[in-house]
Amino acid sequence: MKRSLLFLGLSFALILAACNESSGDASSADGDWMPTKNIEIVAPSGAGGGWDTTARMAAKVLEEEGLIDQGIGVVNKTGGGGAVGWAYIATKKESPYNLFVTSTPMIDVPLNGQSDYDYTDFTPIANVIADYGAFAVKADSKWQTLNDLFDDMKKDPTSVTVIGSSSPGSMDHLKFAKFAKEAGVDITKIKYVSEQDGGELTALLNGSVDVFSTDVSEVVEQVRAGNIRVLAVTSEERLEGETISEFPTGVEQGINTTYINWRGFFGPKDLPEDALEFYEQKFKEMTETDAWKEIRANYGWGDFFMGHEEYQEFLKEQVESSKALLDELGIVR
Amino acid sequence: MGVMDGILEGAKVAFSFHGILFVLMGVFLGTIIGMLPGLGPITAIGVMIPISYGMDANMALVMMAGIYYGAIFGGSTSSILLNAPGVAGTVATAFDGYPMAQQGKAGKALAIAAVSSFIGGTVGVILLMLFAPLLATVAISFGPPEYFALMLLALTAIASLSEGSTIKALISGTLGFMVAMIGIDGQTGTSRFTFGSASLLSGIDFLVIALGIFALAEVFKLIITRNDIDSGPNKNIGSIRITKSELKEMSGPASRQSVLGFLIGVLPGAGATIASFIAYITEKKIAKKPEEFGKGSIKGLTAPETANNAATSGAFVPLLSLGIPGSGTTAVLLGALMVMGIQPGPMLFTEKPDLFWGVIISMYIGNIFLLVLNLPLIPYISKLLNIPRPMLISLVTIFCLIGVYGISFNTFDLYLLLAFGIIGYLLRLVSFPAAPFILAFILGEMIEQSVRKSMTISNGSFMIFLERPITLAFLIITVLSLALPPLLGMRKKIKSIE
Repeated sequence: MKRSLLFLGLSFALILAACNESSGDASSADGDWMPTKNIEIVAPSGAGGGWDTTARMAAKVLEEEGLIDQGIGVVNKTGGGGAVGWAYIATKKESPYNLFVTSTPMIDVPLNGQSDYDYTDFTPIANVIADYGAFAVKADSKWQTLNDLFDDMKKDPTSVTVIGSSSPGSMDHLKFAKFAKEAGVDITKIKYVSEQDGGELTALLNGSVDVFSTDVSEVVEQVRAGNIRVLAVTSEERLEGETISEFPTGVEQGINTTYINWRGFFGPKDLPEDALEFYEQKFKEMTETDAWKEIRANYGWGDFFMGHEEYQEFLKEQVESSKALLDELGIVR
Repeated sequence: MGVMDGILEGAKVAFSFHGILFVLMGVFLGTIIGMLPGLGPITAIGVMIPISYGMDANMALVMMAGIYYGAIFGGSTSSILLNAPGVAGTVATAFDGYPMAQQGKAGKALAIAAVSSFIGGTVGVILLMLFAPLLATVAISFGPPEYFALMLLALTAIASLSEGSTIKALISGTLGFMVAMIGIDGQTGTSRFTFGSASLLSGIDFLVIALGIFALAEVFKLIITRNDIDSGPNKNIGSIRITKSELKEMSGPASRQSVLGFLIGVLPGAGATIASFIAYITEKKIAKKPEEFGKGSIKGLTAPETANNAATSGAFVPLLSLGIPGSGTTAVLLGALMVMGIQPGPMLFTEKPDLFWGVIISMYIGNIFLLVLNLPLIPYISKLLNIPRPMLISLVTIFCLIGVYGISFNTFDLYLLLAFGIIGYLLRLVSFPAAPFILAFILGEMIEQSVRKSMTISNGSFMIFLERPITLAFLIITVLSLALPPLLGMRKKIKSIE
């Protein structure tokens, strides 16, 4: 009973915290910056999605582990695959109280011409987690390995339909194209269907499409149930975990490439140096807590911490690599 | 472990003190969230995920499921009293519920909605319990071509949603289609009709349109006709008793639509909204007096209210038996399960029978609670209509604004709401029905995307729609439903001439 009351109270507190807007007002004392009021983390998507859960979980750990003394409110700014949220943060220049969570679309969406802002319009603070992609086929499919599939696609790329949840030119499409290109398939002819109503797995299971390009976490249970087979995961080395470790990588099948879906926290452009250091350190500490590790394990998120400097280099490489692929696909606008 | 053992395990969860407490809390919160336009179950559950971390997974899911079906249950209230749909699934409820309230039968309308919801929910749970593992195959039998054919069938309803002029209904539907095309196109990633605005990239939210075209347009009407004493909401609430003859009238739609609604709910992507529309249309088609629909028909209120609650139960089939989320809300539920360390998927049924059956059994209890909570509240809630008109108008307006702002926290949506309020009012002024607009908007994107997905799969061949049995069957029914009435009419005419 007590617990449920606490629960109700907490939910109201959270809603209140979310309503509590804060704007720029940096109280910097040489390198020793501390937040003096509530911090807002924007999830540029609706409640319940990947960005939203990451933001809410991070806020929870940062607060409950006593890493940050101020309240942290998660605010959803939905729309445009992130573009609406980014446009909002862009108005918060220099403010150390407006952070946001982002991932691979931060690269793809601007390249696709759907956002005026790209990662250089913000300050990358720290990356915290990584997901890897997986390519799955139905359990009774004729393709046993990734090379079986690509051999057929080299003969006739249009004989295979690939499905994913992101729009063409975004993650699920790009990672498949990246591997197919490495194998020598004509990627401009790949048939990619974008399914945004949650019917990807259904379409694969009823044979409407042939290949499902998705995240590793989406396929594990279906493999255990014997419904589908994973031809490859996009990591460098095999992933750890029960069923997961049985999935072969592309690299070990001779397709020498990888694809990583990173996820981390950014601040607005010109985030003061001392605030940047503060948050970088706090996010690092957060990823080392047991609470965070347990959350990661439950969601199947991989550990992938990068500090500010390293993160920026990494993002630069990501843009180069995605741009080259999109150019070849004829999508860069 | 056999199925019976699993059910027993589940019953232990559902009937435990905590089980009953959490389901009560869930349905109570759900009812409130449902009543407030804009605030939907997705947001509520999404916000709760971090809080539920560390809670017993069974209890958390029992409660979150309660919020989900409780919101659909409660959503009918504002549809009926204010013409402001509380959640997307209850738009069709306003078609006959609001006219009933205006005729001074608000109490009765709310009672009918509550009883229909209860029947839909309970029948849905029974079907879920009996057939969940079996129906998993139904849930995955629909690919893009099948969805296209089903949506096309639903679209024929535009003609039956017309209030007199079919041409006007078709124009209204076309406008709805056009609005549905706004935003990033799923199959190419190109933005369409966004005029460079980032706020339009993801299209226009359904609730912005529903609240604008129904609730705000009604507000405008109330303001403009303020000097007419006869118009405006009837303050009379009337009896909440449902008579025997009314029960008899309800029985047909309730029994049919609880099954049909459930089946549509099972299909990933279809959901409560589409189920309620299809229910409304089929009942109107087979009704002896279809002209009563839209004017406060009991059948017209029973059908969507039964179907949307049944569909909510149906949506748990793909979620629990396959780990496939069929709707936005079940997708969030799936995320909630994961954070509690449970991997939703086909193995849940055998590996976590206590959770699987616990949730299902708790839904019986939840539905009983909902009925018991809602019925006695009706006289109090419907007092809302007794509020002086200027205050009621401001209240509805504020509800609409908060609701729309709550979707995306974007002030741009408020202007859109206003624009759709004006469009809705203008449509009424020239007596264009608004229902075809909203139906075409809901179906528009799905129809377009499913055709294009199908064509990509088939390398551009239309044969894909004729080769698949389910698709073909739907297409034949569509053609028949369009061609039969005029043909029958012609036969009658020829006979009368003879």
